[in-house]
Amino acid sequence: MQKERLPRDVIAMRVAKELPAGAVVNLGIGIPTLVSNYLEGEQSVLYHSESGVLNYGPLAEEHEKDYDLINAGGQFLRWVPGMAFFSSDEAFAMIRGGHVEVTVLGALQVSEHGDLANWMLPQRGVGNIGGAMDLAVGAKRVIVAMEHTDRQNRPKVVKECTFPLTGKGCVSLVVTDLAVIEVTPDGMVLREVAPDWSAAEVQSLTEAKLQVAPDLREYEL
Amino acid sequence: MAERLSRELMALRVAAELRPREVVNLGIGMPTLVANYVPDSRGVVMHSENGILGYGAYAAEGAEDLDLINARAEHVRWHPGGAAISHTDAFSIVRSGRLDVAVLGALQVSERGDLANWMVPGKGVGSPGGGLDMAAGAKRLIAITEHSNQGKPKILRECSYPLTVAGRVNLIVTDIAVIEVTTQGLVLKERAPGWSTGEIQSETEARLRQVAPVKEMEFIIPETSPPGKVLPDAAAAVADIPDGATILMDGFGGIGGMAHYLMLALRDHGARDLTVVGNTVGIARVSTFGQPPSPGLQAIDHAILVEKGQVKHAIASFPVSPSPSRPSAFEQAYQRGEVTLEVVPQGTLAERLRAGGAGVPAFFTPTGAGTVVAEGKETKIIHGREYVLEQAIRGDYAFIRAHKADTAGNLVYRGTSRNFNAAMATAARITIAEVNEIVEAGALDPDEIVTPGLYVDRIVQRPEGFSPFRPVEEG
Repeated sequence: MQKERLPRDVIAMRVAKELPAGAVVNLGIGIPTLVSNYLEGEQSVLYHSESGVLNYGPLAEEHEKDYDLINAGGQFLRWVPGMAFFSSDEAFAMIRGGHVEVTVLGALQVSEHGDLANWMLPQRGVGNIGGAMDLAVGAKRVIVAMEHTDRQNRPKVVKECTFPLTGKGCVSLVVTDLAVIEVTPDGMVLREVAPDWSAAEVQSLTEAKLQVAPDLREYEL
Repeated sequence: MAERLSRELMALRVAAELRPREVVNLGIGMPTLVANYVPDSRGVVMHSENGILGYGAYAAEGAEDLDLINARAEHVRWHPGGAAISHTDAFSIVRSGRLDVAVLGALQVSERGDLANWMVPGKGVGSPGGGLDMAAGAKRLIAITEHSNQGKPKILRECSYPLTVAGRVNLIVTDIAVIEVTTQGLVLKERAPGWSTGEIQSETEARLRQVAPVKEMEFIIPETSPPGKVLPDAAAAVADIPDGATILMDGFGGIGGMAHYLMLALRDHGARDLTVVGNTVGIARVSTFGQPPSPGLQAIDHAILVEKGQVKHAIASFPVSPSPSRPSAFEQAYQRGEVTLEVVPQGTLAERLRAGGAGVPAFFTPTGAGTVVAEGKETKIIHGREYVLEQAIRGDYAFIRAHKADTAGNLVYRGTSRNFNAAMATAARITIAEVNEIVEAGALDPDEIVTPGLYVDRIVQRPEGFSPFRPVEEG
């Protein structure tokens, strides 16, 4: 039986719940970018981008495109009041200096110790590190947003990462299309499961050992 | 005995030593007077550690600005083209070897060029201030001082007071003489009007040698204007780039912040075996970063250099296309083994450039600890956390894309196009800026300047109607 997994937008919606109002947040490329669609009103946060802008607003419409206003993914932003511009070296001083509270990153693999691999597929032989390694060590909290398994349905939550690492022991929370998993000093704790999924079913698609939280819940949105 | 020179004449004599466009720091006391005698046409940039570059004479009475002082808290005026900077940037300029001259007062100077100027033993604790940094960091150190203090010589065999710096003084200008410090000791070069060499020696403890006739001091500052920084076109700006050069360029990989006009000129110039340093090695063409406004066009990026075989090595953070199915020209050359590559975390790359520009040779960062990035590098546990030692990067040339420049080379950027440009501008031997608009020195607000002009050697204006896109068939 093929059970339904949550769509990318619901993963993003679940991650959005983790972001405290007013926090400085850096969103990586992919599912993380979608998180901004689910933060509104009082929960608003200050977005930070390695391209050198803080407190940016929504993406620009086609007719508003300006080459001098992009996020780190190369998407065009809209000019909004309250933005601040700075150089890339300062953008990373903010990250390493502990001024970015949360980063949401995509991942190829996450290990049960919270190791993250997200910059290179070994078969390509070359990859883009970009800002991920700095964010992994610099942000106070690293949340991974990803699909639970790869395209061949192999687990991405693993005992040990086999792909080149982005950072060691840096991930705090993993939000997937099946589960919400917390990384603790004693290993991974399964906190929430997608509707209709049991803890055992999630474990069967996970290589790392998951401890089931006593108050295991259905995905809360 | 003849009359001694006034402080003003001593300052004037020191002013004559300052060559066109030199960056000069004036210490507290007599040195600050020098600023009043440097002609504007020389383009000398006065540096003060409290955070100003390019100040001029004292402010007129009634026109003082509490936010515009030199390191002695004297009210000064902006020189056209001046820029406000932070304390940290002020000392980065010193550490990175960009301070050409420091002029300091002296309590004692020795025949080996030792300087003592911050503390008289037995009289309190003393204030070294920025004097130690300036004395150690400046390329030339000029001491300006009365020749003796109540009959006691100040130019000695050995300093008896605590040193400010050892063996760094190049020239001593006093109220009776000009003395050069050489490896063979002190050489008397000039004497004040009416003073004999014998009279000067009698007021000096150290021995003064004469290797050429000692001239009488003159107080004329010839008008010599430095050549302008604004060049007619990009071809002129890149004409001297040799094969094998290391060039800092790119911005962030997108259209904004990339010096397309200079890159085209470099392609036409043809220099080969280049090392390019930047966030990307050309992904605009193969990603959303450089989506053309209409079909049939493609962005100018590093591919124009890679396809001509001009690039040998790259240091980059985002070197290949985000999508493996659309490889960039660089990735294809890499897979063919024609080029080499060092992949660096983005923040480490930015900081390596910043360090290169700030005279910091290496630094510890937590980024990359426990990953392939740390392989072969020194690591250290500091406060329980692992850090990786990363080396500074400096380039032979930097291609900077800015929004606006003034004729003194001061730059302002627009939006997110500042990115890597601001750090790269500080980290090259020759920095070339490509801008949309050039204004006269003084037309930019000194407080809005991001890259002070002392970092910028050449400026070119992007031609009217220049497009960062080219027809696909033109390559």
